[in-house]
Amino acid sequence: MRKKECVAMLLAGGQGSRLGVLTEKIAKPAVSFGGKYRMIDFSLSNCVNSGIDTVGVLVQYKPTVLNRYLGTGAAWDLDAAWGGVHILPPFATQTGGEWYEGTADAIYHNIDFIDEYDPDYVLILSGDHLYQMDYNLMLDFHKLMGSDLTVAVKTVPWEEASRFGIMSVDDEMRITRFSEKPKNPDSNLASMGIYIFSWKVLRAALLADHDMPGSEHDYGKNIIPTLLSQKKNLFAYVFSGYWKDVGTIPSYYETQMELLDDNAEFKLHDTRMHIFSNLHDHSSHFIGKSGHVEHSMVCNGCEIEGVVENSILSPGAIVEAGALVKDSILLPDSVVGSGAVVERTILNERASIAPGSRVGSADKITVVGESSTMEV
Amino acid sequence: MNRTIGLISANYTFSGYDTLTDERPVASMPFGGRFRLLDFPLSNMVNSRIQTVGLITPYFYRSIMDHVGAGKEWDLDRKQGGLYILPGAAYGFRDPNARFLFRDILRNQTYFRRGDGDYFLFSSGTLVANIDYEPMIAQHEIQGRGVTFLYKKMAPGQKHNGFYLELDDSGAVKSMARADSGENLFLNSFIIDKSLLLKLLRDYEAVGHMDLIEILLEVLPVTPMGSYRFNGYVGFMRGKQEYFRSSMDLLRNEIRQELFPRDRQIITKIHDAPPALYLPGSRVRNSVMTAGSVIEGRVDDSVLFRGVRIEKGASVKNCVLMEGCVIEPGAHLENVICDKAVTVTAGTIIRGTDDSPCVLPKGGVI
Repeated sequence: MRKKECVAMLLAGGQGSRLGVLTEKIAKPAVSFGGKYRMIDFSLSNCVNSGIDTVGVLVQYKPTVLNRYLGTGAAWDLDAAWGGVHILPPFATQTGGEWYEGTADAIYHNIDFIDEYDPDYVLILSGDHLYQMDYNLMLDFHKLMGSDLTVAVKTVPWEEASRFGIMSVDDEMRITRFSEKPKNPDSNLASMGIYIFSWKVLRAALLADHDMPGSEHDYGKNIIPTLLSQKKNLFAYVFSGYWKDVGTIPSYYETQMELLDDNAEFKLHDTRMHIFSNLHDHSSHFIGKSGHVEHSMVCNGCEIEGVVENSILSPGAIVEAGALVKDSILLPDSVVGSGAVVERTILNERASIAPGSRVGSADKITVVGESSTMEV
Repeated sequence: MNRTIGLISANYTFSGYDTLTDERPVASMPFGGRFRLLDFPLSNMVNSRIQTVGLITPYFYRSIMDHVGAGKEWDLDRKQGGLYILPGAAYGFRDPNARFLFRDILRNQTYFRRGDGDYFLFSSGTLVANIDYEPMIAQHEIQGRGVTFLYKKMAPGQKHNGFYLELDDSGAVKSMARADSGENLFLNSFIIDKSLLLKLLRDYEAVGHMDLIEILLEVLPVTPMGSYRFNGYVGFMRGKQEYFRSSMDLLRNEIRQELFPRDRQIITKIHDAPPALYLPGSRVRNSVMTAGSVIEGRVDDSVLFRGVRIEKGASVKNCVLMEGCVIEPGAHLENVICDKAVTVTAGTIIRGTDDSPCVLPKGGVI
């Protein structure tokens, strides 16, 4: 057994109900994003780029697509001989089986997994954020401050602070208070849902929390308040780079549309940073004689005979002749039939728009699934 | 168990490629936006459920090894079987019709002797087609002839120098000869019984400089040999004209769909490039485009590989632009093949002809 300094645990089990049709059949971290990626790619790539080679992925809700996507982890260079990606579903024991009842409970059930690697630190991540982060810098901060728990925070505009979990800090960045969506915030440092714990501290906290009557076994609601009350060393690490939570339809839509902007803060086309993904092998895409593409991103495997403006086409999407796709996101293998008009619409994987039909309008976001449609 | 073992030869080159083959064997010529020619025979074998493939490398094998690695993308990184790299002799063929240098087979005898199968499927490393070998293997097994040649019926009057088969009514090969045109063109792929191959390795040990095909011709009178007809598209690759024409063939829907069907994909090394980005003002018509590119100018009737930049006011027509090319503002290219990482500076105009495309060498700044 070889010791790992830091093990990452990626929470990928939530339903992601705010994404509605998009998570009808697949877990939120497996939802297609930015053309060729799936949401989990960003956190996983951050791990790899930060030299963290052991990642437990906690799954529960509709994990089939996510499991297949992760595979051996080879696509992220995470098929390590010791370490690598591990898919961790709920499991049965001699005393019965239980679902993961909360974010902390999911880690509690996998204490044995973490103990195998005997880590000093555990990094807790979510699978639905768009950001590029070197976790080493946060880990260095954690060590420097002698922290028990370091929470990554982002400065948000004061008027939006009441929508977030807000960390109040002293001059040294020591966390003094945590308030979930406060009406009158006294800080504008929002938790990004990224935590580094010293494993001994987290381990003890999880064991205590498990036996706590009435606990929801949640980091924000239970673990952090308890550690605060125990006067543990909690620090906030301010992350100054780009970070977006894409867990709602409007943020999912807007964040991707921002990628089209040549001055986008998140630069997919910056070759210095590598975002790994597990793409199916498609051939190049083709723009036909009647096709036209402007201000858009197009992935391999697409065939375009219609007009595409200000849109994102994921691998294998098809736009037939005479169709117009405007301000829209076509997810993998979706089809827009000939002559159809699609505006401000998210077309789910393998969904299709009948020839000649009209979908979406400029004043709302329409989401079309294989069998159902919703508007936001 | 699969009883057929694959063998791909890449130890030959063609003249007539200008600088394109200076630093790479023809088998690793980039093609069709994100492939290399070698991907076609490799994928065809794997898609035909062949799990062991030997690859005879040329002397300049860096680009091939960089591409195939341990064969992971093709599912050839196996405990049982998998990809075997078989080093070829320092001087491969430059003969436009020779593919299988007998010396390379002699020197890699161990691969053929150890091979746990009854048949070997040989293919050239530059056979660009989507071929299902399973029915051909089945036919070879049933007919019991020592060799089965893959061939294509040529259109009457079509000129193409190569080996042509003369067949009897049962499909048996009566004779085979080089010609400038003919009916049944041999596609440089065949199945041979392991026992026959091992016998030839003993009998012809002294003549390593020969092509295996020449040896097969010598034993044809005493060995029953059959044929299997391939009806699909073949992209010929012997020189820059054929390469250019085959590249332009990809602009035709029926050919693209036949070469790259979704249920029988041509597999290649994956690079994780971001999606192609089309900026305001871009104008692209009738072109094969690839991830990682940024397009602000105009593209017509062309094949672009990954990571190509067409800047504002630049235009390309009838071109093949390989990975990482940059066409600066106002430049115009027509009938040009740009090798990898070529920069065409602002305002430069370069025109080749349809029959003789202009080749810009790798990494050049023009």
